[in-house]
Amino acid sequence: MIPFELAEPKSLTEAIKLLAPDDAMVRPIAGGTALMLMMKAGVFHPTRLVSLGKIEKKYSGIAAGKDGLRIGAMTTLSALEQSLDMKKLAPVITRTLRTLSNVRVRNVATVGGALAHADPHMDLPPVLIALGASMSIAGPSGERELAVEDLFTGYYETVLQKNELIAEVRVPSQDGTRAAYMKVTTGSADDWPALGVAVALQSDGNAVKSARVVVSAATSKAMRLPGAEAALAGQRIDDKILARAGEAAANEADFIADVRGSVSYKRELLRVYIGRAVRAALESGAH
Amino acid sequence: MATITDQGTAKVGAQVGRSVPRLEGRDKVTGRAEYTHTMRLSGMLHVKLFRSTVAHGRIKSVDTSAAKKLPGVAHVVTIEDVRKVIPDPYYGPAFHDQPILADGKVRFVGEPVAAVLAADPHVAEQAAQLIVAEYEELPAVYDEVEALTSKVHVHDVLKPAGTFADLKHLKDAKGTNLALDYRLRRGDVDKAFASAAHVFEHEFRTQKVLHLSFEPHATIADYKDSGVTLHTASQGPSFVRTEIARLLGWPENKVRIKVPYLGSGYGSKLYIKLEALALALSMIARLPVKVALTMEEMFYQITKHPSTFRIKSGVDKDGKIIARKCEVYWNGGAYADIGPRVTQKSGLTASGPYDIDNVWIDSYALYTNMTPAGALRGFGVPQLVWAYESHTDMIARALKIDAVEFRRKNLLREGRPHPTGTVLKDAAIEKVLDRLVERINWKQPMDRGTGVVRRGRGLGIAIKAVISPTTSVAIVNVSADGSVALYCGTIDMGQGSDTAMAQMVGEVLNMPAESVRVVQRDTDVTPYDMGTLGSRSLFHMGHAVRRAAEDAQEKLKALACEVGEPEGSNIPIPALFVKKYGMQAGNVIGTGIYKPDYVPPAPGTGLSSNVTPFWMISGAGAEVEVDTETGHIKIAKLISVLDIGKSINPKIVETQISGAALMQLGFTMFEKMHLDGGQVTNASLADYKIPGFHDVPTAMENLTVDVTQSNGPFGAKGVGEVSTFCVSPAIANAIDDAVGVRLMELPLNPESVLRALRVKAGKPLGDE
Repeated sequence: MIPFELAEPKSLTEAIKLLAPDDAMVRPIAGGTALMLMMKAGVFHPTRLVSLGKIEKKYSGIAAGKDGLRIGAMTTLSALEQSLDMKKLAPVITRTLRTLSNVRVRNVATVGGALAHADPHMDLPPVLIALGASMSIAGPSGERELAVEDLFTGYYETVLQKNELIAEVRVPSQDGTRAAYMKVTTGSADDWPALGVAVALQSDGNAVKSARVVVSAATSKAMRLPGAEAALAGQRIDDKILARAGEAAANEADFIADVRGSVSYKRELLRVYIGRAVRAALESGAH
Repeated sequence: MATITDQGTAKVGAQVGRSVPRLEGRDKVTGRAEYTHTMRLSGMLHVKLFRSTVAHGRIKSVDTSAAKKLPGVAHVVTIEDVRKVIPDPYYGPAFHDQPILADGKVRFVGEPVAAVLAADPHVAEQAAQLIVAEYEELPAVYDEVEALTSKVHVHDVLKPAGTFADLKHLKDAKGTNLALDYRLRRGDVDKAFASAAHVFEHEFRTQKVLHLSFEPHATIADYKDSGVTLHTASQGPSFVRTEIARLLGWPENKVRIKVPYLGSGYGSKLYIKLEALALALSMIARLPVKVALTMEEMFYQITKHPSTFRIKSGVDKDGKIIARKCEVYWNGGAYADIGPRVTQKSGLTASGPYDIDNVWIDSYALYTNMTPAGALRGFGVPQLVWAYESHTDMIARALKIDAVEFRRKNLLREGRPHPTGTVLKDAAIEKVLDRLVERINWKQPMDRGTGVVRRGRGLGIAIKAVISPTTSVAIVNVSADGSVALYCGTIDMGQGSDTAMAQMVGEVLNMPAESVRVVQRDTDVTPYDMGTLGSRSLFHMGHAVRRAAEDAQEKLKALACEVGEPEGSNIPIPALFVKKYGMQAGNVIGTGIYKPDYVPPAPGTGLSSNVTPFWMISGAGAEVEVDTETGHIKIAKLISVLDIGKSINPKIVETQISGAALMQLGFTMFEKMHLDGGQVTNASLADYKIPGFHDVPTAMENLTVDVTQSNGPFGAKGVGEVSTFCVSPAIANAIDDAVGVRLMELPLNPESVLRALRVKAGKPLGDE
């Protein structure tokens, strides 16, 4: 590791000032679970890391309001996993976190980092997209709002400027939502997924009013699948409808091949797992 | 010279057969145990390597100027610098084919080309990134079958080391990638095939995987003109000493190899690895120098052999196998390492634990442009069993004979000659099969599953000969206060050998194993041992340790007699020493040497009347659930049954069995080094996964059969590798049982299973 400057600002505003809009070698660091691996592998040599570990405490808290949950971006994944408010609002997130990497990573990795890193294999983004979560993003000229589904532009790529930071994530109320996330690994059980599928349904028993369906890991970014959503909306769920939704998803997702599977195989996985995710959501009970 | 009929006088008693907790366990779990990878010497320089990015090429230039200018860099070294201190800088156990740094050519992606030395490892790393090399790329060969006839030759001239008789004919061979061709010829296979009622022929393949010991390779060399000391994470310090002495042209007594505990090895730390490089760099720097790999760099050090096994069997109308022809191709990578021995030593059992009159085996060690391959927990046998036990199952299925019944018809039984000609003794193949059949409820129908999940079961049995002939030496030192220290070169790398050896000493000298001190490995102190490999140590070193303890016992008795004690006196040892020396003084030193009898395989036929001092016998059974929509396999049950003779330490035996079975489970189900143009594309633990706790089968049984190895120390023999052998075919056979598809190539990952299911259904998946 080549020596670099480590800044530890006391406020979010100060942190933003320390970032550089045009210098990729200046990066913010939260839990560091991804960035440190990149540094160890020699693919990232920072000149300055801006640690967010000492910014205001409010960015590490979870607050419940009548319109949902506000999660500070510096909240660790294990704090989110253990939050009763989170479990009450959207137990799908609590369940997802149980198999997200391992407890050592969850103890330091943060919610903001899990979004900003934009590795398509991460488990939290597809679930947040399915639940309609949004973020407030802080930059030199103030804050802006963005839906999580609009964050990603590609493999490790987001709409964030180099001097912008995710400040807070908001998960809206989930009255009546039934949701599930399926993590599909093809290597060891704790491998990165070959496919992630998140669904959130508004339904009356077996009758789906509307659906949000998100694919991740098998594609270059976590993304909604409008064709599959349309195939489910207004339908009473049976094998035929699920097959149709699976077919729509398989046709619209843009798969990438890697060591976890070929495009053909991932397409088959998605075709099958759309149905499994919908059934799991229906069986999970309403939030 | 010892003979294997000598079984010792000690009886199984209070120490042997007891589950003594591991003697070093407390130091390890409290972080106090010493490892080479974390060791530091005063004034030590760190090394970072600049590695080849091409698989095969002539080196046109290596520009080290920018690296040399970086502040803090002590030396930047290429082969030209190495040659000034070691004129013939080539090393290896079977061939002297591996240069200390790339010499004129590179032969695999990741081969070390230059080394940077600095007091600060980060500076060394930064400097290594400033080195620029230019190559004239050459065509490369990667596939082991292609390598046999390829016009691309990895080495211009072959250079056998001279230590192995069956390699001498390859001296100065040109225009070949063949590093050993072992053959076995018994009976007349062609005639038998012609008369067979059925002939079956299949080809099986295994993938490239690696050991991934928790502690990556590490060596510290401290060279002085008066002598050199190497602290190294090695499974074979005696061999390292011999090879370092050869490179230096020094007598062995000027070379000292010290080995603390190893963070596992699995065969990756055998023979010579980083030691030659560390030596050369310390000679150049005239300071202690440490070469320590990262986890990622281990992908460029040593791997398991990928293999192709073409197997053909002739079966008569009664279901008796009358002929078997085996052609095995071992992908040895760019440097031979111990590949030729894997080729021969496993090759000789390639026809399996079956009684077959006509056997033909060709086993080829081949050079290719990939990371070198060596021994990995089984010395090649898991690759062979994968093929022959899948093949055996396929024959039974085709002939509509029960898979167990078919095996019973053909089993090699006690007293019958193995295809090598060595008569089978203390090889409980049938008992292992019986126990397996019982534990997996073979005779009862099973729940075959419903809906998309289908269930099935399968099994396999295997035989292995131990690497032979090899020698072990041990010393037992009784101090005047009666305390005892054991000096033996077996490396405790997590397998619990220190504990087992202490138990044997305690057994003979009638003292608790916990009170026996096992001295850390140091070739200035601990005597010769061939290496901690191939499940040989408990048997070979066990005998040496037993003999050393018995020798000490005899000498204590003689001392008692000398000082006037009556016959059968039970005078305490401290009192005995006081009586002799007038104070607490003196030592009693017992020594033990063990080398089994052995008859080398005859050239041309591979036959031998005594090819191994003991046989390792293994069986595994698996119950699987197949998700027919995705190809995912759940291992509901994995049963291992082994003949390991008597257990010296039953608890350690159990963990050795489960550990080896789980390791092989990873190689079976998903582990694979993905290669693209010779480049490993998943060379990190982020993308190369090994089994974790969630991959452990729902139910696991780790069993031994109740037998005695009549020529073993206290009736025991080796265990470390044995449960790896049958895991792969047992699972593949279970998958076939569940869903009727046969996989011929490892790993058995979900995509492979689904592809096979789709082919069977006439709806094959696309190639995207």
